[in-house]
Amino acid sequence: MYIKISNLSKSFKMFKRSAGLKGALSSFFNRKYSHFFALKNIDLELKSGEILGILGENGAGKTTLIKLIVGLLHPTNGNVNVDGYNPWKRNHEYLRKVSVVMGQKNQLWWDIPASESFLLNKHIYQIEDSEFESTMNELVDLLDVRDKLDVQVRRLSLGERMKMEIIAALLHKPALILLDEPTLGLDVISQSKIRDFVRYYNKEYNATFIITSHYTKDIQEMCERVLVLHKGSQIYDGKFSDLIKSINPRRRLFFEFNEGFDESLLEELKAVYNFNVSNNILTAELSENDLKALLIKLLDKFSPNSMSFEDLPVEETMRSFFINPDQYLK
Amino acid sequence: MIKKYTAVLKINWIHALEYRANALVGVVAILSGLFIEYQIWNLIFLSQGVESIKGFSFQELMIFIFLSIMVGQLKSSWHTSGEMIEGIRTGDINKYLIRPISYFNYHFMMFIGVNSLYYTVYSLLLLVTIIVFPGLLFPSIINIIGFILALSISVFLSYSIYYIMICCAFWFGEVRAIIVAYNLSMIILSGQYIPIRLFPDNVLDIIKLTPLLYLVDFPVSIATGRMPIEDWGFNFIVSIGWCIIMWFIGSLVYNRGIRNYEAYGS
Repeated sequence: MYIKISNLSKSFKMFKRSAGLKGALSSFFNRKYSHFFALKNIDLELKSGEILGILGENGAGKTTLIKLIVGLLHPTNGNVNVDGYNPWKRNHEYLRKVSVVMGQKNQLWWDIPASESFLLNKHIYQIEDSEFESTMNELVDLLDVRDKLDVQVRRLSLGERMKMEIIAALLHKPALILLDEPTLGLDVISQSKIRDFVRYYNKEYNATFIITSHYTKDIQEMCERVLVLHKGSQIYDGKFSDLIKSINPRRRLFFEFNEGFDESLLEELKAVYNFNVSNNILTAELSENDLKALLIKLLDKFSPNSMSFEDLPVEETMRSFFINPDQYLK
Repeated sequence: MIKKYTAVLKINWIHALEYRANALVGVVAILSGLFIEYQIWNLIFLSQGVESIKGFSFQELMIFIFLSIMVGQLKSSWHTSGEMIEGIRTGDINKYLIRPISYFNYHFMMFIGVNSLYYTVYSLLLLVTIIVFPGLLFPSIINIIGFILALSISVFLSYSIYYIMICCAFWFGEVRAIIVAYNLSMIILSGQYIPIRLFPDNVLDIIKLTPLLYLVDFPVSIATGRMPIEDWGFNFIVSIGWCIIMWFIGSLVYNRGIRNYEAYGS
């Protein structure tokens, strides 16, 4: 599903009041409103079958962008064009092609089993009986929730409920799927199951995904491309790996020496490179080029017991990025 | 197309069946209301020493009130309107807006579905009443058909009026106070507890100019045979006219309101 977003902005009207009874009374008679822009001049193009991750701190505008794409909000300025549809006209044809899962909102019926909500969606999306059966069986098996189908939704765990939400959202095989914090509050196994599922579904059905998540690992594992939002503005659109490299181009080397190695041979290298040696293991955190140069010199002098490279944790990298994004993107 | 809305009706029915106690509440609401009315009107008839008031014998009046309370319950919407307002206020409405379904129709089916237990229980109560007091309700089969049609109009009209008030939540956020005020005034003005036929003529003349006449009095008058059959046609046309007007206003308010909507929360 092709998406083109041009010059998209969204402002909200808010009223502010001071705390306490006096503030409440004053606001009751004289309410002061102000406008703030949740999104400013966003431009984005997305091809069919792409998985786009949206990154940003709280209040960056991620969910607002999702809501504008699905048509829950009217833009203040600009356009969203999804396969020729204007989302906020909420054309039923368009809504049959998209789906949204909001991690913090329950779309299933709370007091009855999820299977009842699936049946309702079958009728709402006018899915043929045979297609409904095969899709539901496939999704239920993939997400491993067959034994929970007839359990009241309110009795399901958070992870099981999220899986049911995803099944409900995908029964009509949408071409565009928007996942807003799909792994929020889930345990590591459920998170991993959902990530695997997204990758599988994208490959199998060429579905376009737009995903927001606070877990950088989600984005790293599911999305090749990311859009980074900061205070409503778009500050990066490109490969996630390139972003990480531009923020922190360093990698980590572990070099394990054999027992009884001659540590004095390291003195010369210590003057040039920054590293630590402890329990016969050398650990260095350097740029790709420095790391290569150090390794050549090490191999020249020592024969290692073992060695390995490691990328620095993306969570840490992104955390340092969001403290001052301008510093990295200039 | 219709299938998706019958599916909404069905799931609400299933949901209503999860709470069996509600059926009992419905019966208690009817019978306790009727008990109070019985005491009051019994006292009035005895103290005045009259056989009838404005054409109602005591027994006829009790049957009329009994049916009015029942119709009044079926047209009132605490649950659906509460949920719709909460949805607009908290952003839960999103789950309806992202699906290819009409917000108005979906909740109309919900409105009927939520009351489904009451429909079942009240039908049984009506059956018992017809057996115990033969001749006072549904003098002919035409009256049963007329009553079902007028009741359908009453339910749709009532929902359409609620819908207009509910959509005001797009601007004000919280409008439950308006719903409460409306519900309380409707208990009297629609004739749910006192037949509007007993109201002073000038008040009755004003009510006749509003849709209130069609919420309770119209279906009950048909069921009890108080409305001559030659008046049905005119009243059906006017009541359908009110439905169209209220639905149209509701659509206008919704379309304006949804532009104002800020999809609160996640």
